[in-house]
Amino acid sequence: MFDEIKKRYLEMFESEKLPYVKCNKCGYVFYYPRDYCPKCGSKDLAVLESKGVGKVFSYTKFVNKDGKEVIYGIVELNEGFRMYTNFLDEVDIGDEVVVKYTIKDGRKIPIFSKNKPKKE
Amino acid sequence: MIVGFASSIYKKYEGSTFQLLAETVSKAMEMANMELKQIDGLFYTYLPGTIEGKASLHFPSFQIPTFLGIKPRIIDSVDYGGPSALTMVYRAEKLISAGEIENALCIVGGKASFLRENRVTVDSVDRFFGNVSLTPFDEFYRIYEDINPVTDYALVAKRHSKLFGTTDEQRALLAVMQRKNAMGNNKALYRTPLTVKDVLSSRVVSDPLRLLEIVYPVDGFHVFVVSKHHSKSDLRPIKIEFYNEAHWNEMPTELQDIVYTPAIESSKGAKINGVDAFELYDSFTITVMLQIEDIGLVEKGRAGKFVEDNDLTYQGNVPINTGGGSLNVGQPAYMSGGVILEEALLQLNNMAYNHQVKGANRILVNGIGGWNRGHSVTMVLRGE
Ligand SMILES: [Zn+2]
Repeated sequence: MFDEIKKRYLEMFESEKLPYVKCNKCGYVFYYPRDYCPKCGSKDLAVLESKGVGKVFSYTKFVNKDGKEVIYGIVELNEGFRMYTNFLDEVDIGDEVVVKYTIKDGRKIPIFSKNKPKKE
Repeated sequence: MIVGFASSIYKKYEGSTFQLLAETVSKAMEMANMELKQIDGLFYTYLPGTIEGKASLHFPSFQIPTFLGIKPRIIDSVDYGGPSALTMVYRAEKLISAGEIENALCIVGGKASFLRENRVTVDSVDRFFGNVSLTPFDEFYRIYEDINPVTDYALVAKRHSKLFGTTDEQRALLAVMQRKNAMGNNKALYRTPLTVKDVLSSRVVSDPLRLLEIVYPVDGFHVFVVSKHHSKSDLRPIKIEFYNEAHWNEMPTELQDIVYTPAIESSKGAKINGVDAFELYDSFTITVMLQIEDIGLVEKGRAGKFVEDNDLTYQGNVPINTGGGSLNVGQPAYMSGGVILEEALLQLNNMAYNHQVKGANRILVNGIGGWNRGHSVTMVLRGE
């Protein structure tokens, strides 16, 4: 059910997990929740957790009404699905980014940032 | 047969939206040499926030006829924005040839100044009125900061450059050539000469798109009168040689790539050889570039080079947006379909005066609709 998948997404956001849907029949993966596979029509779907690592598919910069620079774009996750997002820092197409969480209207939402290698 | 057409365009029209509509309708009826009581078919398209500053109109199918004083037998609305004007004229012709109606009024437009002054567009109208949805997935899609639709087209322009090496200069050159066409068009708001440098030094609205690559939303309507009877009109008989629609239901993120539009599908089967001019939907410079590729003027990724290698002015070898397009005429109520269709009709009737393509007899018009470029209509019009 669409409503159940949406609810699951919002719950996963709260626990800082990035959800996506995989079709158990044809293997297609997608982000924006639907209760059928847009490729093969199957209703046999699984909501999975993404590792939250991907690459910048495209981006743009603009200055918002408060004079602040905002970066907006599309990220392609390593699992193969894409989603719109804001980026927390300067990026270029192809850069590796990782999911972070921010609060919007009292809810946690996923947002992406450049993957800075940790110094061990 | 299209027997009359008219437009009224203002940066800001002080009166009511219905008054502006009525003004445009009467000009079109005058050209058609017909009276409103003869109208038995009504087609309209309407976008949120563009009529009287209301988020939504309840039953425009009642409000438009009651204001105009018409009594249609058939009412239909087409709501996919940009290309709707082309669809309405086509469907009116179909219903006429099926004997359902005799005279149809096709209406597109509204007032953009209200949303413009509140610093939103029709594709970010949810940020102004609240309680309006853009997708079934707004809880996951509309939670980010953007300036839709400019940001979405900027993503396409950015990726087009990355994949194919398209430059800012090439997009600017397209804007420059469209301006050259606008200079002879007395309907254009912007008619002063423009250089590539001017375009590149205009403000970056959403990187890489600059102010002079983006349409200016204005108040206005286009009205087209389609009739079974041609005898009273001075217009030349014009045939719809080709018509095709394509509608994509994917979010752009789910397309194979965002650099494709449904014009690839809608233009399939249209013969572009021997087309005298192309009127291509120009919400942004990049929109025109995408259609140049998708209708098959050049292969995917080569539009930048195409713009450099060809003269796109009305006197050039591949005339495109011969009246300057909506980049220069302005975009009435966030839809350019009326602008490009009217330009095609002016050309075919030898009424384009200082931007007339000599002997124009076949014109391809392509409309793109939706913030996500989800809709495309391709039409080829030919003089009889
Ligand atoms: Zn499937």
